[in-house]
Amino acid sequence: MNTQVPIEPMPAVRTQSYLNEQAKFPFCKGCGHSNVMRRLNESLVALQPEVSDVALVTDIGCIGLADNLFKEIHTVHTTHGRSTAFATGIALADSVLENGKLKTIVLIGDGGAMIGLQHLVHAAMLNVDVTVIICNNFVYGMTGGQGSGLTPECFITATTPHGNIVPPVDLCEILRHSNASWVGRTLATDQEFPNLLKEAIDFPGFAVLEVLELCTEFAVPENELTGRKLAEIAEKNRWQLGLISRNDGRQPFAEKYRGISGDAAAKGKKKEPEPKTARQVLMRRPLSMVLAGSAGERVQSSAALMCQMALDAGLYVTQKNDNPVTQGSGFSLSEIWFSPSPVGFTGIEQPDMVIVTSEEGLKEIRGQGWLARLGPQSVVYVDDSIKVDLADPRVQRIPFRSSFGPKGAALGALTFLADRKKIIDADQTIARVGQRYGEDSGKLLKKGMDILSAMDGAS
Amino acid sequence: MAEGAIQAGCRFFAGYPITPASGIFKTMIDSLPSKGGVALGAPDEISAIAYCIGASMKGVKAMTATSGPGWALMIESVQYALMTETPLVVALVQRLGPSTGGATQGAQGDVLLAEFATSGGYTIPMLCPTNAQECFELTVLAFTWAELYRTPVILLTDKEVGMTAERIDEDALPKITSQDRMCTRAENGAVSDGTYFFRAPQEIPAFSPVGGAVKVTATGSAHDKRGKLQKNSPETLEVLLHLEEKLRWREQDLAVVDADLEEGAATLVMSYGVTSRAAKDAVQSVRKRGEKVSFLGIQSLFPVPRKKIERALQGVDRVVVAEENIKGLYRSVIERYCSGRTVVGVNKIGSMITPMEISAALLH
Repeated sequence: MNTQVPIEPMPAVRTQSYLNEQAKFPFCKGCGHSNVMRRLNESLVALQPEVSDVALVTDIGCIGLADNLFKEIHTVHTTHGRSTAFATGIALADSVLENGKLKTIVLIGDGGAMIGLQHLVHAAMLNVDVTVIICNNFVYGMTGGQGSGLTPECFITATTPHGNIVPPVDLCEILRHSNASWVGRTLATDQEFPNLLKEAIDFPGFAVLEVLELCTEFAVPENELTGRKLAEIAEKNRWQLGLISRNDGRQPFAEKYRGISGDAAAKGKKKEPEPKTARQVLMRRPLSMVLAGSAGERVQSSAALMCQMALDAGLYVTQKNDNPVTQGSGFSLSEIWFSPSPVGFTGIEQPDMVIVTSEEGLKEIRGQGWLARLGPQSVVYVDDSIKVDLADPRVQRIPFRSSFGPKGAALGALTFLADRKKIIDADQTIARVGQRYGEDSGKLLKKGMDILSAMDGAS
Repeated sequence: MAEGAIQAGCRFFAGYPITPASGIFKTMIDSLPSKGGVALGAPDEISAIAYCIGASMKGVKAMTATSGPGWALMIESVQYALMTETPLVVALVQRLGPSTGGATQGAQGDVLLAEFATSGGYTIPMLCPTNAQECFELTVLAFTWAELYRTPVILLTDKEVGMTAERIDEDALPKITSQDRMCTRAENGAVSDGTYFFRAPQEIPAFSPVGGAVKVTATGSAHDKRGKLQKNSPETLEVLLHLEEKLRWREQDLAVVDADLEEGAATLVMSYGVTSRAAKDAVQSVRKRGEKVSFLGIQSLFPVPRKKIERALQGVDRVVVAEENIKGLYRSVIERYCSGRTVVGVNKIGSMITPMEISAALLH
């Protein structure tokens, strides 16, 4: 499967030019992109990174044609607007998991910057070592000169034939306020451009340099645009030129991440496994159970505890939970199988037991049609505070809430019924609850069990 | 799935919260750092998958997880991974659709949306576990496939498998490992080229990481064998063909099924994912009544395990396909292999298909 075509590895020697001399610039005459290519090359020559340590990630549009102009450095041509996100992934893997030597540079236009604004914002927030060069020529050049989110007001484009009436965003300000560590803006023809670009690439965190340029094919003819007018556009829009902000104090994401993940590992967050207290249980046939109560009353966590106990006792279990999307309000429901053999279908066609610990639980049990699915052997255990039709002999009323308290009712009901069904002895559950949640919790459970046992004995 | 991913050597996870896939995200956040990896939240699903693809291009095994609405956003970048032949695993935990649908309701409605996510309908290998153990095993396998065939691989599951807690015997888990990244290597001082270079269409070149010794030229646009953007040249067409050919060539290696065929059975029930469990129960109850019936659970949905389906169809005149969607989405794909036989669907939405419903169709 490996190809056997030997080629020379990348030369380790420092290079005089990162540009491919044979490649002809594909850009229109006077297009600012050509300037960007030359300045980028000059910056790299000045900084002299190893060619294998440079990743040029390009966006869609004319600026995306840059890949073939550079030799030896890695080039990744991506989808529209996403270049920053792919570059962020490359930089994250490089800086967190490897040596962090890579210089990741993004070339993106004004259109791509607007589609991928989220990616720019998040890269700035993370402070990954990515340098984004936003080549802003105010239009989508490759597709026919349509207006973008960075098109100045009154500008005539294919999609704003009477002049743009929507003011453009100031990307540099958005990114500055997203905690970008290095933010600058320049004109493609400005003498400052090479130095700013070099500084941006050299900067160890996230850096963004917006370059205002001419699209000679579309923006220039309709708007009588000239190089000099670019500065006027910047001034009119109050777009600050030069280095806008630089923050050397922000730690890059990789350093912070390694810090916290190292701490977590050092603290030994791994929990000790709980001692398996449950005795082996011999069940003859599977038992299904539906437990319904109110959110915040520990329905699902109690079911999980009971399932864990059953697991420890050698049984097969499944637990499916249901609750409204808000999670913290309304009903809370668990469907459980206890089985001596592996569980196939995890749904319950005819429940053996339905346990209801609150009004909201009953409403949901009715709503989901559980009462219509009862079999002749099914039993419904309903808290005695709930108003329910008692005509059905399969319904039993038990004072779960008054015995265990509202927050203990679900756990109490499960403990009581698992004991009665000889799945898990109540004393084992009480011991486990004591271990997991503290002695007081165990005592409360025991107190409730004593109340119910006394009633059982009296009846 | 998260544990399978870690077992497979996944070291990068970027996610975005979505029910019912958030459990994988959370487990990776909690587990990956101590395994020498990184897991982080992205500002949207588009960023999440792009971060993973970027990390994979850097040479790190990567995974993300989502559900239908998030998958819709990821499709753009799944295509990019396919086009650039970047290994990637995406867990798609289905919920009820369309649109935001039902966040806490299971469904099997994304099977075709997931598979046919590319312009051109290129094959994206898709594995579909039915229970916790298979979630582990098939995730390890998904990483192997992603590496071997340099492709995104989809792990299709749903709320009922993804969010149901069940017993799994850790000791019984196979000690499987996943294929390591096969990178271009230096031989006799020279590095064999391989970024996207291949000779025969079915050949899969070794991987060159960004930042490595071999220059990477990657593009999501049509390109020649060395990754250079080209417009519609015969070589770019050859590359496009290669994206499909490399998988078709290995179709037999990509076929995973759970076959329980009964000699002399004239009825075959086929299913996948959570519905397979109900189908298996149904098969057992029907056999208890003295009827003969065969079962075929499909774990590798795509490429379609054609040969294994044809084998299961021998002597069968009635096929029942059970899946939790309205139209019988996967049935529409496999029906073509069932010529001359009656093909019946058991379909519904809103809740799991029950063993009784499948039994009824088997006994008709």
